[in-house]
Amino acid sequence: MSLLELKNVYKIYGELHALDNVNFTVEKGEWVSIMGPSGSGKSTMMNIIGCMDKPSKGEVLLDGVDIAKESAKNLTAIRRDKIGLIFQQFHLVNYLTAVENVMLAQYYHSMPDEKEALEALERVGLAGRAKHLPSQLSGGEQQRVCVARALINTPEIILADEPTGNLDEKNEEIVVDLFHKLHDEGTTLIVVTHDPEVAEVAQRRIVLRDGKITKSVVNENFTGKIRFS
Amino acid sequence: MFLRMIRGTLLRQWKKMLMIAFTIALGASLASAMLSVMLDVEDKVNQELKTYGANITVVPKAASVLNELYEVEGGEASGAYLAEGELGKIKTIFWAFNIVDYAPFVNVNAALDDGSTVKTVGSWFNHHMELPTGEQLDAGITSLRSWWEIVQGAWLDEQKEGDDADVCMIGTALAKKLGKSAGDTLHLTGSESDRSLRIVGIYDAGGDEDDQIYAPLNTVQALDGLDGKIDSIEVSALTTPDNELAEKAAKDPGSLTVSQYETWYCTAYASAICWQIQEVITDSVASPVRQVADSEGAILEKTKLLMILITILSLIGAALGICNLVTASVMERSSEIGLMKAIGAQNGAVSGLVLTEICMTAVIGGVVGFFAGFGFAQIIGHTVFGSSITMRPVVIPIVAILVILVTLAGSIPAIRMLLRLRPAEVLHGGR
Amino acid sequence: MKKRQMFLRMITASLMRRRSRMLVALLSIAIGATILSGLVTIYYDVPRQMGAQFRSYGANMIFVPADTAFTEQDVRQGAAVIQAADLVGIAPYRYENVRINGIPVVAAGTDMQGAQAASPYWHVDGAWPAKDGELMVGAKVAESFRLKVGGEIELSYTPETRTQEELKTVQDQTCTYQITGILDTGGSEEEYVYMSLPDLAKLTVDDGKVDVAELSVSGGAEQLEKYIEQINAAVPAVTARTVKRVTASETTVLTKLQALVLLVTIVVLALTMICVATTMTAVVAERRREIGLRKAIGASDKSIVGEFLGENLLLGLLGGIIGSLLGFIFAQQVSIHVFSSSISFRLWIVPVTILVSIAVTGLASLLPIRSATEVDPALVLKGE
Repeated sequence: MSLLELKNVYKIYGELHALDNVNFTVEKGEWVSIMGPSGSGKSTMMNIIGCMDKPSKGEVLLDGVDIAKESAKNLTAIRRDKIGLIFQQFHLVNYLTAVENVMLAQYYHSMPDEKEALEALERVGLAGRAKHLPSQLSGGEQQRVCVARALINTPEIILADEPTGNLDEKNEEIVVDLFHKLHDEGTTLIVVTHDPEVAEVAQRRIVLRDGKITKSVVNENFTGKIRFS
Repeated sequence: MFLRMIRGTLLRQWKKMLMIAFTIALGASLASAMLSVMLDVEDKVNQELKTYGANITVVPKAASVLNELYEVEGGEASGAYLAEGELGKIKTIFWAFNIVDYAPFVNVNAALDDGSTVKTVGSWFNHHMELPTGEQLDAGITSLRSWWEIVQGAWLDEQKEGDDADVCMIGTALAKKLGKSAGDTLHLTGSESDRSLRIVGIYDAGGDEDDQIYAPLNTVQALDGLDGKIDSIEVSALTTPDNELAEKAAKDPGSLTVSQYETWYCTAYASAICWQIQEVITDSVASPVRQVADSEGAILEKTKLLMILITILSLIGAALGICNLVTASVMERSSEIGLMKAIGAQNGAVSGLVLTEICMTAVIGGVVGFFAGFGFAQIIGHTVFGSSITMRPVVIPIVAILVILVTLAGSIPAIRMLLRLRPAEVLHGGR
Repeated sequence: MKKRQMFLRMITASLMRRRSRMLVALLSIAIGATILSGLVTIYYDVPRQMGAQFRSYGANMIFVPADTAFTEQDVRQGAAVIQAADLVGIAPYRYENVRINGIPVVAAGTDMQGAQAASPYWHVDGAWPAKDGELMVGAKVAESFRLKVGGEIELSYTPETRTQEELKTVQDQTCTYQITGILDTGGSEEEYVYMSLPDLAKLTVDDGKVDVAELSVSGGAEQLEKYIEQINAAVPAVTARTVKRVTASETTVLTKLQALVLLVTIVVLALTMICVATTMTAVVAERRREIGLRKAIGASDKSIVGEFLGENLLLGLLGGIIGSLLGFIFAQQVSIHVFSSSISFRLWIVPVTILVSIAVTGLASLLPIRSATEVDPALVLKGE
């Protein structure tokens, strides 16, 4: 069974078909990037996969559960347990230190554990900046805190929305390297981006246009450990 | 463009602006309500203190010397009286408007049928006067003796009965002694004539009056043939608490300089009003009743001071409240302002925009608040004193200055914070 | 680490690191609480304080003999029934007919200190008599006999018990006194001369008799009635009565004054509380994005409401504590400046202030928190 399966998904805002009969599957451990120009439905799809929105029609099966039929309250629980989110604008709580921001995710998930949180920061190379406030961190560092926060609860899927949109080249590289590491450890990654460089390192990339999947390309040169034929 | 941006903010952020305007309106209404009440409280409490009765008595000059001393020996001294015809003049003095009530008194020792004599007092009860100024006034002891408790019957209604009608009121002690009750008649013999008076009411005054008879002025005058003559006048006037000048003047108005005299004469001191009464009533001596006049002064001063302090507290509260909200709401807009700075707005332009918006909101809120506050003041006036609070123009500039100052003061820390903002931080540093 | 610890850590972090905004909120709550506790304290103290001011109207209770006469002893006994703190002044009076240059005048013997306390409106030119052989005369007496402060005056007394025969032969008792002051009241007191009770006894007959006693007692009309009942029961020689003119009027005016302070308090409080509420709303509304973020990383609505409310309730508690302290200081200052006496501390106002602050803060922040949690996190996070 696939980890995530979208079957005939529509999202309709009045006249506008933001998603128009989308069918899409993600296997466990896969690294998929979603591309497309503005207004292609990327964000809508991301919100639906991230349990922040529901489709107008169709099924979204996550681990065999149709999240389109769940209540808002259950969606929050599913998001908490199965999904780690990374945003373009980082979105850290500005009065909490890096480690506290990571612990926040633990807090809502189960039990805050400072040691674990520090280990997560170490994984993203920020062990020395744990006690800094977001305003004292550079953009790349902030995004790495977000990555640490996203993976702290070992989610089924890490969902990143334009993770490199606000980063310079050097930091972009660091974040992409992190994705490689996560992928090697078996984490499922879905990265929404319009940066071809970021998209092309993924195992598979799909292209959205006017709410439809127009292209699905498997990366022949993929260098990661885990492969799908 | 500037105007367009402001209009844009006001239209699009109307919810937030409405909240600021609302708070400013609250603060302004608080300020104007409290100021109106504070400025009027002296007059209102002064009116209330009138329940203590007259604060000025007027007696004939000759009588003032030894009248009651002789009384100890030989009963009522004859001689000096005030003229009833001059009573109306009291409402023509400089401070006529401050004279809220007055009543003439004439005392006669009348004999009852059993031979005993009783002090019979003639006065106004609710005497109706039409003044040349067009003002109407019901004066007399019905209001000057408000603490009398009517045990039986009712207050004598002079307007219904006429001022020489054969009616009277008697004290409880006398009623008990004579075994009379309301509705009975009492036969009184004076030195000139005798009359049978119907008792319309019995009062309990808790004092010497309980042994006396009160009847309309002309009725009592007729008993002793004292037509047109009165013994004393009690005047209830709204006065300003005495100060040094008033005390100096009370001793000898001649000792004042011309300008001091003018100040004194044109201030509603008890001594100034006494002086003016003496000017219009021939051969009279008017003096303040210290028990009432002095106490009034003390209580008025305390009440006023209390209200001033409460007003100051609420003004500070209102000021800080507005200040706070303005600060909070300007801070909230840091990302918008960061964007403006990012696209090249100068600090001056940003501050100007924010200030203009806030000030426009403040003006709207202030105007609404002023009228609301005046409404609050009226509610207080009507509930507590049963009369409306006078609108004083001086409240308007005070509230206006307060609102503007406070709004600006509230914006300063926020604007300083905004100026320190680095646009990159706001736009990139996810809050 | 326990969940609760993290909860506390987040709240303290929010309070400490968002200092300027938290100060804004705290300040606003503290102002509200100050006004609340200050005004309520004043409101409850006004009747007592103003009541004391009304004592300047003089005696509100008098003792008259139940039969024909009573003694100073009876008066003291009656006054003992009244609590010392409530008794502002007591002045026994004894009146005798005496003569100045053969002309009759009423002489009143009294306790000068008592009279001064019971009739604070008496205005004396010169000084109150302090020693034996000193007296003060009413303004009218002074005028008719052309008496001056510092002058001397001879009073003569004819005992009523003398027969016609004796009147012709026996000399009147006479005494010479020093005039220390001239009394100005605007009332009938101006026609008397005042001296101490022992002085009057020396001139006349020392029988300890008193005609009337005037008392100035603080307390409302009900309290006075209670005292009168007790006195009439305890001391049979004395009949106590209220001076209606003073008590009835005092009740009327005091009731109005208290109503005034009450209404002012209500208006000020209502407006202040709304002010606090709007500020809290603004402070919370600012954090919509943070609320969205917390939702996105999996916080349930309940836990968000719990955290934000917890933080604001803590603010309410702090503000309430600060406010009840400042409010008391304010009320104390008002009392000292207006009434020159300190205010009585009412302990119950402190918890009430704190509870009201917490309630207002809680309610004011609950609405914006709720509305923020209802918003789709995706929308909030997408930015404005």
